[in-house]
Amino acid sequence: MSRLLDVSGVQAGYGTVPVLHGIDIHLDAGEAVGLFGPNGHGKSTLLRTISGLLRPSAGTITFDGQDITSAKPSAIVAAGLVHAQQSNPMFGDMGVEETLELSAFSPRARDGWKDRLAEVHTLFPRLAERRRQKAKTLSGGERQMLSIGCALMCAPRLLILDEPTLGLSPRLKGELRDAIAAIKDKGVPLIVVEQDVEFLLALTQRLYLVEQGEVAREIDGDNAPDHQEIMDMYFGEEAH
Amino acid sequence: MDGVLIPTLVSGLLLGSLYALMASGLSLIWTTLGVFNFAHGALMTLGAYFAWTVTDVLGLGLGVGFVAGIGAAVIAGVLIELLLVRPFYGSRNMMLITVMTTLAASTIIERGISVIWGPRLKQLPRVIDGQVNIFGAPVSAHETLIIVLAPAVLLALWWYTGRTRSGRSLRAVGQNQDSAALIGIDVPRTFSLAFGLSAALAGLTGVLLGSIRFVTPGLGADPLVNAMIVVIFGGLGSLGATAGAAYVIGMMEALLVLWLGLYWTPSVLFVALIAVLIFRPNGLFGKVSA
Repeated sequence: MSRLLDVSGVQAGYGTVPVLHGIDIHLDAGEAVGLFGPNGHGKSTLLRTISGLLRPSAGTITFDGQDITSAKPSAIVAAGLVHAQQSNPMFGDMGVEETLELSAFSPRARDGWKDRLAEVHTLFPRLAERRRQKAKTLSGGERQMLSIGCALMCAPRLLILDEPTLGLSPRLKGELRDAIAAIKDKGVPLIVVEQDVEFLLALTQRLYLVEQGEVAREIDGDNAPDHQEIMDMYFGEEAH
Repeated sequence: MDGVLIPTLVSGLLLGSLYALMASGLSLIWTTLGVFNFAHGALMTLGAYFAWTVTDVLGLGLGVGFVAGIGAAVIAGVLIELLLVRPFYGSRNMMLITVMTTLAASTIIERGISVIWGPRLKQLPRVIDGQVNIFGAPVSAHETLIIVLAPAVLLALWWYTGRTRSGRSLRAVGQNQDSAALIGIDVPRTFSLAFGLSAALAGLTGVLLGSIRFVTPGLGADPLVNAMIVVIFGGLGSLGATAGAAYVIGMMEALLVLWLGLYWTPSVLFVALIAVLIFRPNGLFGKVSA
C-alpha cells in the first residue's frame, strides 16, 4: 500500500515554547490510525502542525507524495487533508446549512457537493433538522456533528478528527462513534485522537501513544498489548 | 414648518445614504479583520481625484471616470492591506498598530494628492442633471440618484455576503479564522478581498461626493469620522446594523440642523449618541449578549 501521510522528525511549538520534539508518524492509503496520550503532551499541536495552522521548526510532512511542510492551510485542505478541530464552535452567527455549503470551498470539493451534503444529512439527521439554526445555538454534540460534517464537505482524502466525543454524554458518544465507523467503512482514511483507547482499538489498525511531544510507542494489530497494559501506559503504573 | 420639513427629511435621507455607503465599507473591514481602516476617507478622496482627471482632464466621460476612481481606490486599498496591515497579523496589538499604520496611509495619500493635483478646488460633473420633485420638494437628480443607489448597493452587498461563496467566506473569516482556514479558505486572500471591496465602496462614494462638494485633499476626512461613528453607534456588527445606524444618524443630523443650526449640531448629535449608548452599550442594533 502506498504511503498517504508521512510526518518525520517534526518539531513545533508556540513562540519559544517547544511542544513537539521530533515526531514521526505515518499512515498508508486505506488505513485508520489512532492517537492517544495524556492531555497537554502535543496531540492537538501535532494536528495543527499537520494541517498548516502551525509551522514546524524542523522536520518534514508529506501528503500523497507532496511536501506540505510549509504549505498554507487552504492548500492542504485543497489537496484533501482535512482536520476537524476539537469542540469547534465553527462560525457562531452562520446557519448550519450555510456552513456546510460553504465548507465545499476548495475547487476539488465543489464537484458533487450536493451528494455529499445528502450524505452528511444521512449520517447526522440532527444537522438536517437544525439547518436554519445558527451554529452558536447548537449543543455540544451537535457542534461536533457540524464540525465533522464540514470536514466531510471538504471531500477529504484523509480525515483527521481531534477528540470527536470529548465531553459528550454516553449516548451521544455512541452516536458519534457509529458515525465515525460509518465514515471509515466508506473508505476514508482516518487519524483519530481519542481518550478512549478501546474505541480506538476497535476502529483503527494502529495506535500511537504521544507523550512529552514524542511518539512513545507504536501499537499495531499484531502486537496489540492487552487492555491492562494500555491502561498502564496511559495512566502510568503508579495509578493503581 | 411644512415647507421646510420635507426638504429636511430629504437631506437626512441623502446624508444617511452617504453615511451608509461609507460606513458599510468600514464595517466590512471591521467585521472581517477586526481593524478600523483610518485611510478609508483618503481612499474616497483618491477615487474622486482619479475620476476628475479622467473625466475633466482626459475628457473620457464620467462613466470611465467612475471606473478609474473605483479602480484607483481598490488598488490603493489592497496595497494598504498588503504593506501596512498584513505584517501585523497575529500581533496582540494589531488593532492599535493598524490605527497608526492606516492613519499613516491616510496622511501619505492626502499629501500625495496635494503634491500631484495641487490645492485648487475641483468639481466633478453630476451623473444626472436636472431636478426631481419629492413630495413637492425640489431635489437635484444627482442627489436622488444617491438616495436610490445607496440601498441598492447595500442590498447587493447583503446578497453577496449572505448568498455567494466568496461573500460567505468573508463572514466565516471574521468569525473564526482557524475554522475558516481548515475548510480551505485562504485567510490572507480573504483579507485582501475585504480591503479591495471596501475600497471600491470608498471610491464609489468619493466620486458621488465629488459632484456635491468641492474635491479637495481633505474631501474624505470629515465623512470618515462620521462613518466611524456610524459603525460604532450601530454596534460594530452586521451590515444591517451599520446601514440602520447610518440612516438614523443622517436623519438626526438633518433635523438638528433644522432646529439648532449648523453650529451646535455636531455637539448635540454626539451627546445624543452617547446617551443612546449608555442605555444600549452594545450599540443601537448591537446584540444584548456577547
